[in-house]
Amino acid sequence: MPFPPAIARAITRVIGKKSVSERAERLHFPNAGHGYDQFGMHPDFVALGDAIASPVYDRYFRVKSYGAENIPKEGPVVLAANHSGTLPFDGMMLWVDVLRNTDPPRNPRPVADYFVSSLPVVSTLFARAGVVGGSRGNVRALLESGGMLMIFPEGTPGIGKLYRDRYKLQEWRKGHAELAIRHNAPIVPVGIVGAEEQMPQIARIPIPGPVPYLPITATPLPMPVRYHVHYGEPIPTHLDYDPEDADDPEKVAEAARRVRDAVQELIHKGLDMREGVFT
Amino acid sequence: MIGVLVTGATTAIGERLVRALVADTRVRHVIAVGRSPETHALPFAHGDRLTYVHVDLAKSRRVHELLFGLARDLEIEVVVHLDQHQNAFNKGKRVHQETVEATRSILELSHRHPTIRRVVLKSYAEVYKVSLELPVLVTEDHPLNLDPRAPQYIRDRVEADLTACSRMGFLDAEVVVLRCAEALGPGTGSQLFSFLDAPLALRPAGFDPMVNVATIADIAVALELATHGSGEGVFNVPGFDTLPLSESIRKWGTPCVPAPGPLIRNAYRLRHAVVGAGFSYGINRRRMHYGLVLAGNRAADELGYVPENPVDWPVGGPVRT
Repeated sequence: MPFPPAIARAITRVIGKKSVSERAERLHFPNAGHGYDQFGMHPDFVALGDAIASPVYDRYFRVKSYGAENIPKEGPVVLAANHSGTLPFDGMMLWVDVLRNTDPPRNPRPVADYFVSSLPVVSTLFARAGVVGGSRGNVRALLESGGMLMIFPEGTPGIGKLYRDRYKLQEWRKGHAELAIRHNAPIVPVGIVGAEEQMPQIARIPIPGPVPYLPITATPLPMPVRYHVHYGEPIPTHLDYDPEDADDPEKVAEAARRVRDAVQELIHKGLDMREGVFT
Repeated sequence: MIGVLVTGATTAIGERLVRALVADTRVRHVIAVGRSPETHALPFAHGDRLTYVHVDLAKSRRVHELLFGLARDLEIEVVVHLDQHQNAFNKGKRVHQETVEATRSILELSHRHPTIRRVVLKSYAEVYKVSLELPVLVTEDHPLNLDPRAPQYIRDRVEADLTACSRMGFLDAEVVVLRCAEALGPGTGSQLFSFLDAPLALRPAGFDPMVNVATIADIAVALELATHGSGEGVFNVPGFDTLPLSESIRKWGTPCVPAPGPLIRNAYRLRHAVVGAGFSYGINRRRMHYGLVLAGNRAADELGYVPENPVDWPVGGPVRT
C-alpha cells in the first residue's frame, strides 16, 4: 500500500472541501472488520479519490448531470454506460457524479478489466476507492450485498474506439444483463456525452503484456470538453424477468439490447441538447 | 454421546480441539493421535475420557491397526484428520505419504469400518487458485490450484483435498472437508504467520492485497461443529479478520520493506538457507499480489460457523465490529 488511511484522510483535509469528507463519512458499506470491505475499499480513500477528482469534475470537464433521481437509493443496481476517451476519465466523472447526486451517498463500484489488477500502485489505489476486478464471483458478491455496480458493457474496445467511431456503441457485452436478472437488480442506463471527444484516438499499436495496446492520440492530454451525464429511467429487469431467466440466452440478449437502446437514446438526446463540445 | 479420533492432536489447532472435545459433554471418548512419543504429550490434565496414542500415519499398516484396533474397541464414530505435513520446503515420498496417503488410508478404511460414520478433513485455503481473472472473494466452487508446476506442498494439499471430495457419496461414512483460513499462531503451519513473525517483512512493491486470517480458537470451533454436524460437503472456514496485507504487517509490529518480486524471492530463499525459516515466497507470490478472501456463507448456513475470535494483534489489539 502506498500509504495508510490516516494519510489519505490528512491529504483529503488539505486538498478537498469539507463536503467530500462528509460524504465519505455517510457512506454505507459492509465493513469487514478493519475499516475495509472484503475487496479492499476504504472510505478514507473514497474521500481522497473524490477530493482529487472533484477539481477535474468541477473545473476541467465542468460536468452537468441530468436525471440522477433515477438512481435507486438502496438495493442492488447496475449502472450501464457508454465508454470512451482513451483514458478512463468517463468512469471517474461518473463515479463522482453518483457520489454527489445520491443521498445518502452511494459508491458505484467500477468493474475493471482484469489487467488493471496487475498494475502496481494503480491496482491498490483503485481497489481502495472501490474498483473491483471484473470476475463473475466479485460482481455476484457485490450485488448480493446490495451494492451498485458501474459497468461499461463496451469494455476496453469502447475506451479504445477511434475518433471516427465516436458515439457509436461498440460490441455490447451481455454480462451486465445476466447479472442484473440473476440478482434482481434494475439497470440504470447512462449516456455520457463529451468524453468521446476528449482525446481523439487516431491509431492503436498492439503491445505485449497486460495492457492491450498503445493508443496514438491527436492530443497529449484530454481536452477540456464539457461532460454531460444523462441517467435514464431504470430498466426493471428485477420485475420483467425471473432470476431463472438469467440462464436463457435469448432473454439475456433481449435485456442487454434494451439497455443498449436506452443508452444510445440518451447519447442522442445529450448530443441534441448540448450547444458545443466545450460548452 | 460420540467417540472422536483426532489426528494431529499435538499441533496447536489439534490440541485446542482435543481440549474442547474433552470438555464437551456430548463426547464419550477422545483418541488423540500425535507425533510425539511422550505419554503426556498434551499439556493439560485429562481423565479417562481421553486416550493419547503415538502413531506414524504415513504408514498405512499403522493406520489400519489404529482404526481397526483401538478406534473400533472404543467405538469411535468421527475421525477428525488434521495431520498434514507443515513444512513448505520439504519434499519427497515421505511428505507425500504424510499428507496424501494418510488421508487416503483413513478414508478407505472408514468405508468398511464398523463404527466410523463421519470423517472430517481439515484442508487449506491454499488449495485455491489465485489469479487475475478470478474473484478475490472465494466460494467453494472456486477453481483449485492444479498447476503441475506448483510446489509439492501445494500439490499434496490439493490432492488430499480432492481425494476426500471424490469419496463424498461413495463411502459408508460421511465426508466433510473444511478449507480453513490460516490461523495466526505458532505450530499451525501458517505461511502468513511465518512471514509476519520474521524480523523484517518484504512484500511486493505497489501491491497490497486483502488477506483473511483466523485464530486457532475459531478453527477449532469450526472443526467441533463439523464433528457434531450431519451431511457431507466442502466448507470454507474464514477467520474474523479481513484486512490488507500491509495492515496485517503493521498490526503485527513487523518492519516492512516493499521490494520487487525477484528480490523478495531470493531474499526469502537465502533466509531459509541460513536460518531455516518456513516462509516460501514462491508459494505465496500470487496471493501477495492479488489476494484471497474466503466466503463463509455455506459454513454459516449449514454448520452454524461464524468466526467470533479476532486475532490479538500485538499492535493495536483485536478489532471487534
